[in-house]
Amino acid sequence: MRYMDKNLREIHNAIISNSVTPLELVKEAIELAKNDDNNAFEYICEKEALEKVRKLDPSKKNNLLYGIPVVIKDNISTKDIPTTASSDLLKDYVPVFDSEVVTRLENEGAIIIGKTTMDELAMGGTGTSGHLGTTYNPWDKTKTRIIGGSSSGSAAAISAGVVPIAIGSDTGDSIRKPASYASLVGFKPTWGRISRFGLFPFAPSFDHVGYFTRNVYDSAYLLNILAGRDDKDSSSSFEPIEDYTKHLEDKLEGTRIAVINGVIDNVSDKEILNSFNKSIEYLRQNGAIVDYVDIDLILLEAIQPTYFIISSSESTSNNANLDGIKFGSRIEGKTLEEVMVNTRTNGFSRRIKDRFIIGSYSMLEENRNELFIRAQKCRRLIVNAFNNVFEKYDAIYCPAAPTIAPKINLKEDTVFNKVNISEHYMAFANMGGFPSITLPLGFENSMPFGGNLSSKPFQESKLFNIANYIEKGTGLSDKVAKRD
Amino acid sequence: MKKVDKETLKLAAQHLMFEMSDEEYESLLADFDSIISKMKILGEIEGIDDVEPMTFPFDVTNSYLREDIAGEPLTREDALKNAKDIHNGMIGLPRVVK
Repeated sequence: MRYMDKNLREIHNAIISNSVTPLELVKEAIELAKNDDNNAFEYICEKEALEKVRKLDPSKKNNLLYGIPVVIKDNISTKDIPTTASSDLLKDYVPVFDSEVVTRLENEGAIIIGKTTMDELAMGGTGTSGHLGTTYNPWDKTKTRIIGGSSSGSAAAISAGVVPIAIGSDTGDSIRKPASYASLVGFKPTWGRISRFGLFPFAPSFDHVGYFTRNVYDSAYLLNILAGRDDKDSSSSFEPIEDYTKHLEDKLEGTRIAVINGVIDNVSDKEILNSFNKSIEYLRQNGAIVDYVDIDLILLEAIQPTYFIISSSESTSNNANLDGIKFGSRIEGKTLEEVMVNTRTNGFSRRIKDRFIIGSYSMLEENRNELFIRAQKCRRLIVNAFNNVFEKYDAIYCPAAPTIAPKINLKEDTVFNKVNISEHYMAFANMGGFPSITLPLGFENSMPFGGNLSSKPFQESKLFNIANYIEKGTGLSDKVAKRD
Repeated sequence: MKKVDKETLKLAAQHLMFEMSDEEYESLLADFDSIISKMKILGEIEGIDDVEPMTFPFDVTNSYLREDIAGEPLTREDALKNAKDIHNGMIGLPRVVK
C-alpha cells in the first residue's frame, strides 16, 4: 500500500486504524524523495525526520497532521537543517531557529522530510534558476517542460506523490502558477494571515507564505493550523481566525463572481477556455452569479512592470546582508570590502545581479520619482481597480495561466518577457494582499492547467467555499503524476 | 531620469558590491530599453500623479507593543555558527591597520 498519493484524511484514517505508523509514512516519503528524478530536493532530512518521528507525542494522534510527511521550500528557515534559497551564496547556511510555519506544523505532529529547490532567492517564475539547475514537471515524462516557480521543488514533490503537503512562498504568483502547471491546489492567504517569521525576504510588501495541497479541503484545513497572529512578525494580523473548513459546503446562492475581460480575452487556448467555461456553467447551476467585468486594460498591462520595479527595488535592500561576513559562503580578499565583493560576485547568478541593478537604478535620487515612486502609485491604482470589483463581487475568477507548462527555455525569464496580461495578472493579489487560490481545471495533451480565484482580504472561507464547488464540478482532486 | 549607459550600470554594481562581465552589462543594457519604455507608459496613466504611493497592501492600524519583558537573545555560539574564521568568539576579517 502506498500512502503518499492519498489525501490528509485518508492518511489520518490509516494511522488511526493502525494500518500504518508515522514511522512507515516517513520512511515511504524519504524513499520516494531519494528516488526523485525531478530535481525537487535541496536536502532530504532523513536523519532528522527519523529522529523526530520516533519522538512523536502519541497524545497528538488525533491531529490530522500527526505523522504526516511535509516538504518546505528552501527559503524558509529550519533549525539545524541547511537552508540555501537555492543560491550558491547560502549553500552552507544552517539556520539556528525555526520559521513560525515550521513550528506550527511540527507542533501538530507533521514531519519535515525535505527542503525543496526553487528559483534563486525566489526571484523567478520558471524553476530553472536555482543553483542545482532546472526542476522538472513530473507530468511531463520527456523532461522538457517547466514546473514553474519560484516554488518549483515543492510543486514537483507533491505532484509526484512524494508528500501530501508542500510549503512554499508567493511574491508574484510563485505558488499559484506552478499549481496550474501541476494539477495542484496552490494557496496564498491574505497578507499578514500566515506569519512570515523565518521566511527569507524578497519583497516584503508582496511576500506571502502559502502552500500546495492536492484538494481544497486539505488547503482549508491547513490554514486552520497556519493562520493567526505571531508576535515575531510585525506584519502578522490580529484579525480573528476561523475554522476554514466550516463553510466549504455552504450553498452558492447569491455568491457573485467576476471574470475579468482583459484577462480572459488574452487566453486563446481552446481547451483552457472550454474547461473554464464549463466550470462557470457549474457555478451558475449551483446558484452563483457570474459576470464578465472590465478593468482598464492599461492597468492590467501595468501589473508586470509595476511588480517588477517594486519587487526589484525591495529585494536590493533586503539582500544587502548577504555579504559572507556573518553568514554565507565567504570568498576571501585582501580587505573587508574585497571579501564582500568577491562573495557577492561569486555567490549570485547573473539574473540576481540584474534584478539588484534594476532595483538600485529605480531608487537613485534622480530616477526615484519616475520609476520606484511611479510604480508605487500605479500599484495603488491597480489595487483600487480590483477593490472596485470586490465592492460588487465576492471573488474574481480567471484561468491561472494562458497555457499548459511551457517548454524549458533557459534564455527566457531574464528581465522582461513580452507582456501577456493573462500570464502575469495574478500579481495583483500580492499588490493588494488578497487571498488567492489556484486549482485544477483540466488537461491538454496530458499536461494540466488551472483556474484562479481571489477574494477580498480575510475572506478565505468564502474563497474555499467557491473553490470547493469548482473542484466538485471538475472532479479534479487528489491528482498525482503517474510514475513510469 | 539618469541616462542608462554601461558606466551607470557599472556604478550601480559597484554600490551593490559585485562585479559583472562586459557581456553581462551589454545584455542588461538592452533589457533596460524595455523597462524604461514600459515605465514611460505608466506615466501616461490617467490620475497616476493624483494618488499617494502604496507601500503595503492595505492600511492596518496597530497599537500593539509587546510587554517589556527581557527575552532570550541568540547565544554567542548560535550567532557565530554560520560565520567563517572565528577567533576568541569574534569573526575574523582582513587586517585594517597594517
